[in-house]
Amino acid sequence: MLTSQKFRLFKDQSFRAIVTMGGNFVIVAILLIFLYLMYVVAPMFESAEAESVATYSVAGSGKTLALAMEEQNEIAMRFTDTAEAVFFSTTTGELVNSFPLALPPKASISSFHMAGTNSSVAAYATDHGQVLLASHQYKVTYPNDKRLITPFIDYPLGQAALQIDPKQQAIVQFTFKLGEEGHSFIARTADGRLILTRFSLEGSALDEDEAELVASTVDLPLPGINIDFILMDEDQRVLYLASHDGEMVQYDISDQDAVSIQQRTHIVKGDRKLKKLTWLTGTISLLVVDSEGVISQWFPVRDEGNHPIPTFIREFDSRGDVTAIAVENARKGFAVVTQQGQLEIFHTTANQQVLEIDADITKPERLVFSPRSNALLLESENGQLHFWTVTNEYPEVSWSSLWGKVWYESYQEPEYIWQSSSSSNDFEPKMSLVPISFGTIKAAFYAMLFAVPLAVLGAMFTAYFMAPKMRRIVKPSIETMEALPTVILGFLAGLWLAPLIEENLPGIFSLLFIMPIAVLFAGWSWTRLPSSVRHRVPDGWEAMLLLPLVVFVLYASLGLSPVLEAQFFGGDMRSWLTNEAGISFDQRNSMVVGIAMGFAVIPTIFSIAEDAIYSVPRSLTHSSLALGATPWQTMWRVVLLTASPGIFSAIMIGFGRAVGETMIVLMATGNTPIMDFNIFEGMRTLSANIAVEVPESEVGSTHYRVLFLAALVLFSFTFFFNTIAELVRQRLRRKYSSL
Amino acid sequence: MTETTLTHAIDMSAIGGVGTAKQLADETIRIKTRGLNLYYGEKQALDDISIVIPQNRVTAFIGPSGCGKSTLLRCFNRMNDLVDGVRIDGDVLLDDEEIYQKSVNIANLRQRVGMVFQKPNPFPKSIYENVAYGLRLQGIKNRRVLDEAVETALKGAALWDEVKDRLHENALGMSGGQQQRLVIARAIAIEPEVLLLDEPASALDPISTLKIEELINELKNSYTIVIVTHNMQQAARVSDYTAFMYMGKMIEFSDTRTLFTNPAKKQTEDYITGRYG
Repeated sequence: MLTSQKFRLFKDQSFRAIVTMGGNFVIVAILLIFLYLMYVVAPMFESAEAESVATYSVAGSGKTLALAMEEQNEIAMRFTDTAEAVFFSTTTGELVNSFPLALPPKASISSFHMAGTNSSVAAYATDHGQVLLASHQYKVTYPNDKRLITPFIDYPLGQAALQIDPKQQAIVQFTFKLGEEGHSFIARTADGRLILTRFSLEGSALDEDEAELVASTVDLPLPGINIDFILMDEDQRVLYLASHDGEMVQYDISDQDAVSIQQRTHIVKGDRKLKKLTWLTGTISLLVVDSEGVISQWFPVRDEGNHPIPTFIREFDSRGDVTAIAVENARKGFAVVTQQGQLEIFHTTANQQVLEIDADITKPERLVFSPRSNALLLESENGQLHFWTVTNEYPEVSWSSLWGKVWYESYQEPEYIWQSSSSSNDFEPKMSLVPISFGTIKAAFYAMLFAVPLAVLGAMFTAYFMAPKMRRIVKPSIETMEALPTVILGFLAGLWLAPLIEENLPGIFSLLFIMPIAVLFAGWSWTRLPSSVRHRVPDGWEAMLLLPLVVFVLYASLGLSPVLEAQFFGGDMRSWLTNEAGISFDQRNSMVVGIAMGFAVIPTIFSIAEDAIYSVPRSLTHSSLALGATPWQTMWRVVLLTASPGIFSAIMIGFGRAVGETMIVLMATGNTPIMDFNIFEGMRTLSANIAVEVPESEVGSTHYRVLFLAALVLFSFTFFFNTIAELVRQRLRRKYSSL
Repeated sequence: MTETTLTHAIDMSAIGGVGTAKQLADETIRIKTRGLNLYYGEKQALDDISIVIPQNRVTAFIGPSGCGKSTLLRCFNRMNDLVDGVRIDGDVLLDDEEIYQKSVNIANLRQRVGMVFQKPNPFPKSIYENVAYGLRLQGIKNRRVLDEAVETALKGAALWDEVKDRLHENALGMSGGQQQRLVIARAIAIEPEVLLLDEPASALDPISTLKIEELINELKNSYTIVIVTHNMQQAARVSDYTAFMYMGKMIEFSDTRTLFTNPAKKQTEDYITGRYG
């Protein structure tokens, strides 16, 4: 007796322990997922760091004209005014090698230009109108399994200097861009001309060796301002000239024979001076540094007449006197140093300052980023070099770049855009989570629009009006639908339903009206039939009669489609929508998703709602009926009210499922991350976005972490909706809990 | 009260309420059945029932479990229609009108013949809305009319004083006895002609039972009441006429005093003296 008592107690307690443990495991598992997501996402929001590694005197002779580094940050180099390329160790400043450049005899250097951040090419111009191009290159070998970087100098256009000015005048100031099809040089000469010399590759397009550089030179119209800055874009189509007064003139140089001045713009505030003007990576945006230390970003925005107008986009305040500016490679960031020795790093798209430290450098004069933007080399006025490492992996991410409207390069206005990658290296990643969050809500909304009425009304009928025998068939069949893999639904939606809807648009729409009307009409006529006919169908089996009707209406609507299309939509509703109604139409649109995903969530909603309605005590319905209520009155006033907590949670669980659903939206939406509620356009959801992009994102990159952030947002979405659902359900249950 | 419910001895002084035997022949008849048979599928639940229900009287159906007394009660407002596979033949007349005709509007019938169930089953709504439910069904929206009807019904059900200050609180917060009186108030709010009570006090404590019984006594002035009960003392206390049923048959039907003091059938006597049931 006592032992059996003890055993019973033991069983009771051990089962309680197991159940408690199971529940706790679930919570722990969810917490772990959450923590892991946080763990991946968190580094994006850490601030950048910079560290001084070494300071040393300049190696080699002459004055520095430009500084550069190689990719591994082991070797740096300087081009000097003695036409030398001096390579030295970044950490010690020790001379590695030095190459004298082959300037034409009897010529002296009149100016120098280094072709921006992504190119390693520098050019010396001579007082005879010539230019010599030299590029610093590195060969990496692994003798004895140790990396050895050997620098050398390459002459991309040959060792001989190119004649830029046919009149052989000294080149005072110039810029150049090398391209696949040709190279352009813009030069200001000693006699005050502004010339554009273009070398185009001519000859065999197949065999590069046979191709020949052909030069042609034109004089450009003078801008009417002092030319202090000359900037030409990568495509050799746009030229900006600017003066220290802040006047900027924009030329269209795409056609050498029809060069024209397009715009004159004042690019500094009030009477501030223009201190620096430089390209941001990609040569679309200009960075304008004024005498107050404010750096503003400008790029051309097309006006109504399709003219590109240089437009102020955003500004960053360095709060100092900027003496040098360096732009990052392959990223839209830049760094500045001030007279006071302050080092600051900004990111344009994220509209944020990522770093500000006191570098303690007196009068910094020159600043350059390493190719991977993870190191900086500074030269101060006294000839000291400072080598800094920079840890700044995720400058693109800020609250405003994730959730705000951002004015991206080449866009007409600030927008919410998701476009994480492109073929170009200079691409500005657009990582707004707004369009994909919106897409998630949109997909779920249309799915619910389709599913909720069908599922809830179906549940009402099944639970309340249907004959028990029929219910025993109908309910499990609908619940079996839930077991259908969503990939099959998505597959059917994308490859079968989407074209079907597209071809039969008028039919589908008439279906939306005809079907309910036909069903209601059938119901009404049924009640008008003589009772002898009606009583042949057992109570609760009447719904079976609708089956042939539904099939017939479906068939008739689709059959009617071409007729309607020819009659009202000029034979093609799709083009009618686009041209006449001005509604854009994608084949894989929200309607397809609404139907397919609605189909996926119907079983969930139906099953839970049906249970809720069915479990309303019969005593309640009976007492309502006994008070003279019709079945419909009882349904609306008592059954739905009492079942409301269950129906509500059914809908919310369905919504949660629709939000998290991946395969259907992936296959049936076209995955275009647009922000438009139009039912005829697609969307991209958080879940589909993750599924599509995770495989192609580099582990640990900003893109990768932003995708994890998207997952976290998705997680919070469902968490939020489920919590709200649970709270409301508990409230309703307290209020309407029945006997 | 507790003692009487526990013993099978009948306290004769309580029988029939007023103390004098009634004569069926003198009564106005509200409901009449003739040769009523009811089948649940193959099983016959009522066998050739012929009974009359007199107006403004309390008629009790007694009998052992499963004898068909509740089934008979539910025939009067066609609640049996809700049960699968029920088949009925014979006549049920309410004021000489056949209620099982096709032309009869069931909702209207049930407004005329109200019903209260064994378990108190208020709707998950406020007290006020529970009582007003039947009126709202009829499309009455006028606030004054509703207020008045709710007050009258709650007073009629002897509940007004207890709930008048919390009319808009959820009815599920009331005690079981209050809930049952609320359900009665809900039933009488639509002023039915007949009130069917299906073991109205069986789920209640003795005090609540007493209150319900007192209420029945008052209600019979305005309504024709039919009550099904397991409790013979209750039948003896509240009813004017009693029908004893057994195995779907009407064994004996007469005025309560006669049935309890001088039953005509042996079966009746066995039952009321506690030999079975």
